[in-house]
Amino acid sequence: MKSNLRCHGSCVITIWALGVVLFITALPGWTPDAEAIPPFARKYQVNCNVCHVRWPRLNPFGEQFLENGYQMPGTHDGGMVEKIRLGDVTLDDISNYIGFLFDVEPVTNSALRRDVTGAEDQTELANVAILRMFTAGTLTEDVGFLMDMTTLFSQSSDVKLGRAFVSFNNIGGMNWGHVRIGRIDPSAYFSVATDRPQFFPLSPKIGPPFGPFGPSIQRWSQTFGSAAASKFYGIFDRNMAPIFPFAPTLYNSTVEAGIDLHGRPFGDWFLYQIGILNGAEERWGDTNNSKDWYVMTRFDYAQSDNFSANLSGFAYFGNHNTKVLGGADVSRSRYGVGARIRYRWLDLYGDYTIDRITDLPSGMSATFDDTATGVTVEAHAIVTDRLLLGVGYNHLDAGGVLSQRKSASFLSLQARYYLRSNIALQVRDEVNLRDAEGGTSPARNLRNQFITNVSIAF
Amino acid sequence: MMKVLCRIVFTLVGGLWVFWSSGTVEATSQPDKDVSAGAIIYERSCSVCHGISGKGDGPAAFYNSAYSASRARDFTVGNYKFRSTISGSLPLDQDLFRTITNGIPGYMPSFSGLSPDQRWQVVAYIKTFYAGFEEETPEQIHVEGSPIPSTAESVQRGKALFQAMDCHSCHGAQARGAGPVAVAGELTDSSGLLISPNDLTNPTGWKNGTTARDIVRTLVTGLDGTPMPSYESQLAGHEDDAWHLANYLLSLLGQH
Repeated sequence: MKSNLRCHGSCVITIWALGVVLFITALPGWTPDAEAIPPFARKYQVNCNVCHVRWPRLNPFGEQFLENGYQMPGTHDGGMVEKIRLGDVTLDDISNYIGFLFDVEPVTNSALRRDVTGAEDQTELANVAILRMFTAGTLTEDVGFLMDMTTLFSQSSDVKLGRAFVSFNNIGGMNWGHVRIGRIDPSAYFSVATDRPQFFPLSPKIGPPFGPFGPSIQRWSQTFGSAAASKFYGIFDRNMAPIFPFAPTLYNSTVEAGIDLHGRPFGDWFLYQIGILNGAEERWGDTNNSKDWYVMTRFDYAQSDNFSANLSGFAYFGNHNTKVLGGADVSRSRYGVGARIRYRWLDLYGDYTIDRITDLPSGMSATFDDTATGVTVEAHAIVTDRLLLGVGYNHLDAGGVLSQRKSASFLSLQARYYLRSNIALQVRDEVNLRDAEGGTSPARNLRNQFITNVSIAF
Repeated sequence: MMKVLCRIVFTLVGGLWVFWSSGTVEATSQPDKDVSAGAIIYERSCSVCHGISGKGDGPAAFYNSAYSASRARDFTVGNYKFRSTISGSLPLDQDLFRTITNGIPGYMPSFSGLSPDQRWQVVAYIKTFYAGFEEETPEQIHVEGSPIPSTAESVQRGKALFQAMDCHSCHGAQARGAGPVAVAGELTDSSGLLISPNDLTNPTGWKNGTTARDIVRTLVTGLDGTPMPSYESQLAGHEDDAWHLANYLLSLLGQH
């Protein structure tokens, strides 16, 4: 079933016009409140940094707010704060429910290898423009919800549904159990959550000659990190559409349909999470009757001296969730550990994952590597109240079809300057540490990529 | 037919909405001083910013204001901004309760999601971080008089007082927080962090309330730990001036 809601012509113009209007109203001097712009900030009348290290990264308070189903930590305030009661249901001002994210990349430069036929360095203007609308909040005490929709203008102008779930919180007691049902991001509570990159998560960009594993992938899209990546060359979803080796999948998928339970029944030091997902990379539908499931535990340490640390581990068990060349069903699973340390201006985090494919057709064992690993390590420093600097390392030890797979190592440097806590200017440079090894694989042909970005949340 | 049905539905929904929304008044309660219960709530709801030992050094404290004021309150030093007591003294329990309930716009969300009993329990626990609460009995200031009608004359008088009392040095002639002392970067809080005077034309920046009584209380008590002094001595015997000044400041917010 086709999943995307088509939006062309006047619809796109309308969305653009809306984006421009919102952009203008977000400029300094056009809003009465310089800081409290996005819906939760509006609702609670606080600035973004109460919940964010710097938007969009959550700080420990924001993580607790998220864990509690968009309620203040330790409370059931979903039914009362800033609300009008209508029986058991409580209503809020519409501006406290709805927010927008607008992203544009004014200049992007991709430097490709000279020895690849047809490859040329490319400088593009306004290459990517994204408008994401999300609505989130609480319906009543301990019942929360979130839904987001994204339009990526530069690629298809489709309106794509992202996460969409309802959460039932504090089941059995404060922090004992929180259930999310719908289209969820499984890794939301892991030490390194997938969907909170410093840059807006972008799809890979592919130039001619087109092909999922051809030589012309121009955007390696390291923003998700190699540990979150699918890692295998030559795998497909259940509709036989290729799964890119760097796309976030399985436990680290940005969205999958399923049910998720998490909680901290023994105090702040320990978090458990368990869930069942369709796991088939499907936006709609449920062809994966056998389902995937996962379990994650996280240990948190310290609540003082401006210091906190956590250590997480997960296991994700795939069940006929992937296809390989020839159309055979295989099971793709993942096991990973992650850690995070925050001390005042420093935010250091990383994760390591191992992916395994089982149930391979016997004839493929000689031509297909069924194991792959990925590691992501990043550090960010808050240099001033408005400036964030970061450095990251990603290594992908790829698996899959032996004739295609190539491992990759990238170093990324980035700076993010906040005009206000909801408006950020960014530059990021990604350096391929292994381009000297040559070859036409997408892991080699991109030498360097420089991206500028403007992000606005309102 | 459809129009009639729609009218009936809207009338019923609207009526029910008004009926239910009118009944959401929070019950008052007597202070519950269960310290151990307060400790549990504090660790769940407060420690992530204020720290497990109350020093204002929780793991999220740094991010709100990394290199400038205001960070999370350090409960171990007995220095509180939002009081109804004389400058330099501790706050009343009611002051702490009010801050927990209302939050501090921009910096601390409201915790009215906690029940009144739970908030009183947290007040009791917070006081255990500073021994002075057992030794000192804070004295409540008395906000003399009552609000004066906000006439043009009162607002004009308040504006003159704004200049005469040197408020503009920090808050600026336009009261937007850009006075010469502030622009020079000379204002710091008690921990040495650069602090910006409030933009008095922005209602979300008023940390200690926006009623006339809130403003007069702030003028009389000052905000301890910040450059905002107490004007208690200057206003003694001229209590009406405090209300005139409050009327002027409220006029900046469009409230007459």
